[in-house]
Amino acid sequence: MNPVKRWIRLYFIQAWFSYRALFAWSTPFNYIASKLGFPFFSMLLFIFLGQSVGLNDPVYIVIGNILLLPSLNGVMGISMTIGGEKQFGALSYLLGSPAPRSAVFIGRAFFHIIDGFIAVLVALPIAILVFHLDLSQTNFLLLALCVLLVCITSTGLGFIMGVVTLLSRDGWMITSTLALAFYVLIGVNFPIEALPGWLRGISLSLPMTRGIQAARMALAGADFATLAPLIAGEIIIGAAYILFGFALFRGVEQISFRNGALDNL
Amino acid sequence: MNAIEATTLKKVFVNRRGFWQQKRKSTVAVENVSFQVDQGELFGVLGPNGAGKTTTVKMLTTILLPTCGSGSILGFDLAKQTVEIRKRIGFTFGGSRGLYSRLTAKENLQYFAELYALKPDYSRKRIPEMLEMVGLLSRADDRVETFSSGMQQRLHLARALLHDPEVLFLDEPTVGIDPVGARELRQTIRALKQSGKTVLLTTHYMAEAEDLCDRIAIVNHGKVIALDTPTALRKRIRPESVIEITVSLDKASTIEQLIKPLDGKLRVESRVTENEHHYSLYTPAPESILEALAPSLQAKVIQGLQVRNQTMEDVYIALIGESERDA
Amino acid sequence: MRDTLRFALRQISVQLQIRTFNLYSLLLFFIQPAIFSAVGMILSRAAGNAKPDLIYTVIGGGILGMWSGMLFTSTYDIRSDRRDGILELLVASPTPLRRIEYVRTFTNIAASLVSLLMAIGAAIAIFGFTFAGMNILLLLLAVGLLLYSLWCLGVFLANFLAWSRLSGSLVDFLELPIAFLCGFMYPIRVLPEWLQWISVVVPVRWALQALDSILLKTTKLDNYWFFISMSFITATLFWLLSVWFNRKVDDHIRITGELSSI
Repeated sequence: MNPVKRWIRLYFIQAWFSYRALFAWSTPFNYIASKLGFPFFSMLLFIFLGQSVGLNDPVYIVIGNILLLPSLNGVMGISMTIGGEKQFGALSYLLGSPAPRSAVFIGRAFFHIIDGFIAVLVALPIAILVFHLDLSQTNFLLLALCVLLVCITSTGLGFIMGVVTLLSRDGWMITSTLALAFYVLIGVNFPIEALPGWLRGISLSLPMTRGIQAARMALAGADFATLAPLIAGEIIIGAAYILFGFALFRGVEQISFRNGALDNL
Repeated sequence: MNAIEATTLKKVFVNRRGFWQQKRKSTVAVENVSFQVDQGELFGVLGPNGAGKTTTVKMLTTILLPTCGSGSILGFDLAKQTVEIRKRIGFTFGGSRGLYSRLTAKENLQYFAELYALKPDYSRKRIPEMLEMVGLLSRADDRVETFSSGMQQRLHLARALLHDPEVLFLDEPTVGIDPVGARELRQTIRALKQSGKTVLLTTHYMAEAEDLCDRIAIVNHGKVIALDTPTALRKRIRPESVIEITVSLDKASTIEQLIKPLDGKLRVESRVTENEHHYSLYTPAPESILEALAPSLQAKVIQGLQVRNQTMEDVYIALIGESERDA
Repeated sequence: MRDTLRFALRQISVQLQIRTFNLYSLLLFFIQPAIFSAVGMILSRAAGNAKPDLIYTVIGGGILGMWSGMLFTSTYDIRSDRRDGILELLVASPTPLRRIEYVRTFTNIAASLVSLLMAIGAAIAIFGFTFAGMNILLLLLAVGLLLYSLWCLGVFLANFLAWSRLSGSLVDFLELPIAFLCGFMYPIRVLPEWLQWISVVVPVRWALQALDSILLKTTKLDNYWFFISMSFITATLFWLLSVWFNRKVDDHIRITGELSSI
């Protein structure tokens, strides 16, 4: 088979199987609850927390938590998919196969990106109904672009955390911590300008921060020219994380050939 | 009173498949299993993968409730008197799961000692004894995660014997263990039987079943298809000897010409390797076959010749084959 | 009695070694509460408040840590036992699974108390919080009821965890709904009234209201004793429910055979 065709075929087939393997035992209720339940209730917690300290307009928090949804897919979903290979004992077979690593590794992201995008599509109408979200000024095309961008750039962190999960038994706990830190760091519940200077630096070095900011502005009706610097920044940072994640995986794989690092639990 | 009684045990598992529309699929793991095991007997259960051996053991060890049927262990009912049964049985399942990997061997045993309500004085003596019996005393203070799978299985045996149970269930105890370790384990099992324990053993290894067991039940598709002593089981199928012949590939036609006229007097199985052709000739009258093969022996056509009696493996394959045909 | 105590001590020791003293606990007991408290504090500053509300934002974060800690260590207990083939061995031992869960849940709650203590420590050390003017005995009673409420809820939920993998995963989803409905990090009066009615049956809500009334130095002790009574009654009801449910779980898990699924 033509190597390009093979790469494409492998990319999609293994993306689908690895995604299915994660949720095969689930039910629709379980699936929806895991995708939307935790984010929904954490959003409610923050809304009422905000109300109790005097912030009566929940819209900022609602929008931020909706835009967080793809990030959770990208980071948690992908790290679980990759880390799960070791848990189920399939990693050795994967590494011993001649399959091109880029298709196998990066392909893991595909359905999580779609999943994250769909989650936002589902959450927005609910937010309109429940919180009377006003989308009359929204630039929908730009909003879709920004959301898709966040879905993609978050996968870079997911790849890195996936490698951490392969190396360490406690890796997924580190991933969970990181996912929690998003509530503070990437402009979900308040603008990043509210953070102390040193935290703002961390925030700006993460993917998703600029994308979420751009998405907020698209919701408010900003045009492409206004958003371009944020989008460009998000693309650069996201690409850097994705490439680094892949390079990390390949590096660890090479090291593992010598010391069996990926073989040991 | 029998040590173990199983009466028409049946187990059906219901699984759900599909995401949006969940379809229920029933799997009959055990269809109809009945047998009795006397106290002090070493009883073997043989069968192919998926025959229902482990499921049967899990029902008898109260881990699973039978869908139908009944059973008892030392007179205690499987469904109603589970606590009494649990105090009196020990069990191991093949494989290395079932231990806290972050704890040491000794700590794992200490924990299970408490689960079985053993007195501290007793467990303080018993734990080192059990570790020594399975050859792990020197590793008592090492974490289980550093153990090989064979060592973990041995630790499981120590765990199963900690409370000195009257009845022991060993589900494929020698799987994954090296030949020397397996031999030592078989000696241990023999010693347990001699000490008066009742042992129910499941295994794939025919020689092990034949060597250890007083009686063997052969299970296929969730049913007992044969149950008797190893000697009696061998007599159930046509008594045959087996003549094993090895020839070079270019001489195979010579042998086949010699064997062809003997059709009806023997059953032939053959396999080909890179340089040789191997024949197994099953016959109740080996002398007449050897007579027919004599010219090829003289002409040095045959490279290797061996005459043996049927093994348990032959019996097993014949009986399983019969049951597959009946099914 | 002595046997039971000895078993309990052994179970506590095993639980601490395999579950508590690891990175997961660091996440649950410290980092998660700190993050939620940080959000609360930054939101408070954004709203123009000079100082954060220590009771709800800081100490409430510690209580959230206790709840998450108890819930997730208990979830992880059964889930990893099931995956590692240990659940079968526990069920097939003469010690009832219920007793094992009672001690494990107690250990998980006792360990998660560190989250509350750290939050109080932070409130004192960083923000100058003081217990002056508070009735310490009533405070300790409220904390005791909080622990009892969490324990009763924990042993009740353990049945769902054991029932099947699917029902166990539903328990995960309870973390934030309970935190949100019971007013872990804000006074419950902030919620619409119809939402407040939902948590009437949750013992933790009443224990928190008792605790907050002491921490906030409320003078209406009638309310306090009402909260304490409701907490005790609803918690005990959950425990009784768990005893009834436990018998069903014992049979169900042996029928389905999901004792050793991955």
